[in-house]
Amino acid sequence: MDLLLSAAQVALSPAALLAVVLGCLLGVVFGAIPGLTFTVAMALVVPMSFSLDTAPAIGLLLGTYIGGMTGGSVSAILLGIPGTPSAAATVLDGYALTRRGKASLALGTAVVASAFGGLVSLVVMVVSVDLVARIAMQFGPAETFGLLIFGLSTICGLSQKSLTKGLIAGVLGLLIMTIGIDEMEGVQRLTFGTIVMQQGISLLVAMIALFAVPHVIDAFVQYYSNKKQLNASADVRAELPSLKDLGRDFWLMLRCAILGTGIGAIPGTGGPIAAFLAYAHAQKSSKTPEKFGKGEMAGVVAPETANNAVTGGAMIPLLSLGIPGDPATAILLSGLLIHGLIPGPMLFIQNPGEIYQIYLAIIVAYIAVVFIQLLGIRFFVQLLRVPAHLLAVGIVIMCGYGAFAIRNSVFDVVSVAILGALSYGLARVGIPLTPIILGLVLGPSIEREFRTAMILSDNNLDIFYTSIPAAFFIGLSILIVGLQVVRSMRGPFKSSMTETESDASVQPK
Amino acid sequence: MVKVLKKTLYGAIIASMTFGIGSVAKAEFPEKPVEMTVLFGGTAQTIGQLLADLMSKNMDETVVPVSRNGGGGSVGYQYVHGTEPDGYNIVWNSNSISTGYHGGKMDFDYTAFAPIAKISNEVPALAVRADSGWETVADMAKAVKESGEKLKVGASGKGSFTHLTTEAVLASVGLSDMAIHVPYDRGRAPVELLAGRLDAAIQWPGQFISHHEAGTLRILCVTSAKRISQLPDVPTCAESGAEGIDIVMWRGLAAPAGTPEDVVMKLQDTAKAAAESDEFQKAAKTIGFEVDFLDHAAFADLIARDDEKISALMGELGLKQQ
Repeated sequence: MDLLLSAAQVALSPAALLAVVLGCLLGVVFGAIPGLTFTVAMALVVPMSFSLDTAPAIGLLLGTYIGGMTGGSVSAILLGIPGTPSAAATVLDGYALTRRGKASLALGTAVVASAFGGLVSLVVMVVSVDLVARIAMQFGPAETFGLLIFGLSTICGLSQKSLTKGLIAGVLGLLIMTIGIDEMEGVQRLTFGTIVMQQGISLLVAMIALFAVPHVIDAFVQYYSNKKQLNASADVRAELPSLKDLGRDFWLMLRCAILGTGIGAIPGTGGPIAAFLAYAHAQKSSKTPEKFGKGEMAGVVAPETANNAVTGGAMIPLLSLGIPGDPATAILLSGLLIHGLIPGPMLFIQNPGEIYQIYLAIIVAYIAVVFIQLLGIRFFVQLLRVPAHLLAVGIVIMCGYGAFAIRNSVFDVVSVAILGALSYGLARVGIPLTPIILGLVLGPSIEREFRTAMILSDNNLDIFYTSIPAAFFIGLSILIVGLQVVRSMRGPFKSSMTETESDASVQPK
Repeated sequence: MVKVLKKTLYGAIIASMTFGIGSVAKAEFPEKPVEMTVLFGGTAQTIGQLLADLMSKNMDETVVPVSRNGGGGSVGYQYVHGTEPDGYNIVWNSNSISTGYHGGKMDFDYTAFAPIAKISNEVPALAVRADSGWETVADMAKAVKESGEKLKVGASGKGSFTHLTTEAVLASVGLSDMAIHVPYDRGRAPVELLAGRLDAAIQWPGQFISHHEAGTLRILCVTSAKRISQLPDVPTCAESGAEGIDIVMWRGLAAPAGTPEDVVMKLQDTAKAAAESDEFQKAAKTIGFEVDFLDHAAFADLIARDDEKISALMGELGLKQQ
């Protein structure tokens, strides 16, 4: 208790509080602008944290991480362009809600769900860091592969008009991510002998291309063909969710928070996977699954809760085992190291005070994020007053800049343009974009886990069924895929699921 | 009036041009910010950012770290290689110049760059589970040979520095054919080791230290010729039974070949002051690297020697493309 109090004195000092709030603000801004992400924001913030004391430095980094994770929902909901890859699932229903004039309600719900998810994951972390770390440790390559395949099979049921088109899209996503140097064997794939292709397509670049570019092209096409805009642009009321609305989804939020924490704790997964799994779960467990994709609030609540729960989940292996789960936690790790905090089992013994400071910083960050975003909503929604074709110009600039900023590479800007034009074409011929995203997000992980597992087992496939978790998840996926195939064979035009609007980037006609 | 104005204007322009040309010849480097290309994320980026920060304090202009990741460093090397040799574009380099070239990722080698100064060393460490009962590398080699089962060793992907180190250590104790290299990224090797899916791992010490202190993992040895300050009680691999092992990852600064001597000297002195500062020494302890400054001439020798070594090692492993 003394430790907690002394940690509170440090973590709640004006300098530390200011650092957290500034971090959150920066994170929200970077997260909200399509093309800029919290990973970029954190890389910018790290040098600043060098000269700060430990508590403000940790606060600044955590604030940026958490602010960015929630900020990604803003542009996902308002513009249909996810601010970060983790917010891609939020687009499906969030943008549909905006088109129905419920932008501010969706934004408010998203931020509350985010904070809820983050805080639940923090509680899980505080209470059971050792237990969760031990369970996560059981997830080796074979088990993680099973889990990812399970994820892929569940999520594939989402919003597809046609199984074939969905498959085409999914495979395209997988293909794009094979470009570059294969990290395991060191071989070059699809680089055509150039150095510039060796860097591969960054996930973020592909995201911008898939969501933002078709959106922009659409806006111009509509403007120049003088079609009437069905955009709900006039409706900018700042309507906030009531406690009753939130209470209705409480159990869903709790389930998604726990799901997100668990996914976050397993190295090799991450925010986008958790968000899509949560979305699929929400749709499956809903009484009205046909409403998903048309502006169902649960479709915003689930992914937003889960992707923020990932922050707490990812902290578990980071702090207790010293393993960063994603690029953002890797930056956090170096920020901790420079202040002499070496994550791992000894951190809890040698630096218990700093551990409490981290916990408190997370709590402060979520409080700050809720305030920043709730205050910000009335300004954010003003964006909808801007005519779509003018807004599109702004989006083009931000995306070009954002693509460049990821790696300071012109190649990335060119990739956005090419892939973007390509995805506009795909959207026009009715190929859904969501499975492409899934291929992008899951493909590299699935490949890596599968190959590592095969190397570990000396090329013996039994590693996938001798491990109980791996066998369990793979069995489940076979079941799900089997059911889907049977259903699509029996009544391809009957299923209510097939009506779901699949493609967030094309405006309703 | 207008004419007069025009005349003075032309005069001013001409004057400024002459002065401009004159001042380029005489001016002190640097006149504008120096861009430092950082090739990797993680600790390489953190150290690079800190170094740039400290160098800026000793110069009239700032040193700006810019990440150009990808392709095992080749993307950043290519960028700097293509810039003017005037000292305004430098690269935070490492042995990756040799592994990248010999691995066929770039068509230019270390001679495309003028060394400025070596800054630091990072030394890979070999760790096993504490309950394995192995106290030295020799113990490990003996146990593996007796059991006849292959040793699963975790390191980064094929052709990476930790992978080459792994193969060198294994070869020195006669385990080359008795081991499986399991590529792990993002620092997952310690967990795989703890969970029992790997038998040994070669990674940067920072990943193991906390587990080593907690008594769950044991760091058998470090691959340098001398013990490292972060782990004074851990023997070197040579002491532990792997004879002749001396492998360190160096990091330093380089500019495109053809950069004027005085500019290189200026950058070298600034880098020296930064490397010797208290802040940098302190960061070395917490992040886990050794500050080991060498001037540009000594650094050039080191790069050339190391390139030969890496080339030979990659040749033996069948990884050499050029």
